[in-house]
Amino acid sequence: MISTWFKGIIYFVCCVLLQVLIFNNIYFLRLATPFIYLLFIIKLPLSIPSSFITVISFLIGFTIDLFSNTPGMHAAACTLVGFARSYIVEGLFIGKDLPESGAPSFALFTKWGYFRYLTMLVLIQNVMLFFVESFTLFDPIYLLLRVGGSTILTVLLLFSIEALNFEYIKGEG
Amino acid sequence: MRKLLDFLYRKRHWFVFILFEIISFALIYRNNSYQRSVLLSSANVVVANVSSVSGEVLQYMNLVEKNKALLDKNGQLEMELLHLQDQFQLMQAELDTFSGFVPDSLTTSFPYKSVTATIVNKSVSHTANYLTIDKGRLDGIAPDMGVVSSDGVVGVVSTVSDHFAVVLPLLNPKFRLSCKVLGSSYFGSMQWDGRDVAYANVDELPLHVKFETGDTIVTSGYSALFPAGLIVGQVVDSEKQQDDAFYSIRVKLATSFTSLSQVRVIVNYFQKEQIEIEKEALQHD
Repeated sequence: MISTWFKGIIYFVCCVLLQVLIFNNIYFLRLATPFIYLLFIIKLPLSIPSSFITVISFLIGFTIDLFSNTPGMHAAACTLVGFARSYIVEGLFIGKDLPESGAPSFALFTKWGYFRYLTMLVLIQNVMLFFVESFTLFDPIYLLLRVGGSTILTVLLLFSIEALNFEYIKGEG
Repeated sequence: MRKLLDFLYRKRHWFVFILFEIISFALIYRNNSYQRSVLLSSANVVVANVSSVSGEVLQYMNLVEKNKALLDKNGQLEMELLHLQDQFQLMQAELDTFSGFVPDSLTTSFPYKSVTATIVNKSVSHTANYLTIDKGRLDGIAPDMGVVSSDGVVGVVSTVSDHFAVVLPLLNPKFRLSCKVLGSSYFGSMQWDGRDVAYANVDELPLHVKFETGDTIVTSGYSALFPAGLIVGQVVDSEKQQDDAFYSIRVKLATSFTSLSQVRVIVNYFQKEQIEIEKEALQHD
């Protein structure tokens, strides 16, 4: 139990540091920034109660906010992602038995299922984030471009990371 | 009562969600103003220290480039010095009769001083961007001080902690800079449109101001932030504003925000006095 917590905290710190030190500095064509820290929310084990996932999501969003000088924006987006996560997982398993434990992965969700799950969460986060950001300056076309660009980049990146997941490759081979 | 508790427990997922969204939006709303809380910004000690480590690494990697820029600047200044010395000697020869004149050492004719600072954290990808620098209250930095780089104007200090300060750069729509076309005395206000880091717009410039593409835009000096005549950028394009009474100019910014790492904070000895007297004048109005 304690080792799970410990592992979780290390994942949390790694995700935050990777995001704020490296990926926050990427703005491909001034449009797209990959939000790789979402991987933390995406990979949270299914055994965690859904309301607790919302709380954890808020915490990671808030931490990212502190570093990127955007108080509340990432927090608001992540809270929504954490909230929606359990419904999306249920939606993927309509008519099938919902696995009770394990982290979302290719093995658990199948490739296509994982891709849908990933895309939906990333899209929710990006729409919310850029919508909130547009309170400062509203520019509809640019807003759509940024949501689209960031979503595609983030999904590509996170999907590749999962495809390189060591345990999955071993299981397949 | 039991039923109510039961209901709350069953719907806890929703309540947790609503509670945290309210907290988030409260944070957004509170911090949308110009002056922000130090604890929640990157001037916060923990955040700033983590960022300054990465800032140092980046700085080290850019040393070669910086060195070259410094050498260039040095050469330029040397030439300027020689030129000025030459002029000075000429003038001294002309004003030989004044050689006994001793200026009053108590009057400070130029009330500005600058403090060099390193950027430890910056964003340029958001609609509203911020920079964090490694100088704070203990180094004499206070909110509303102007910040410049060796190329031109950068922004204004918005929040200060003991060792760090957050700067509102030109790349933030909340910051408006009073500026003018070099050589004219009519001023307009510059604001960023949230798109390209290299460009910003100057609005409210009277139609009869004459300028051409390539002209230099400088600070007007009509605020306590900057002395007049600091370079802001160059005119690239202009159009009439919708009400047809003003020009709107597109300006290529002199400061390259993506590669920026060293800045200078301008300390104005008379700023407090100027702001106080302006406030007083408003009160008597």
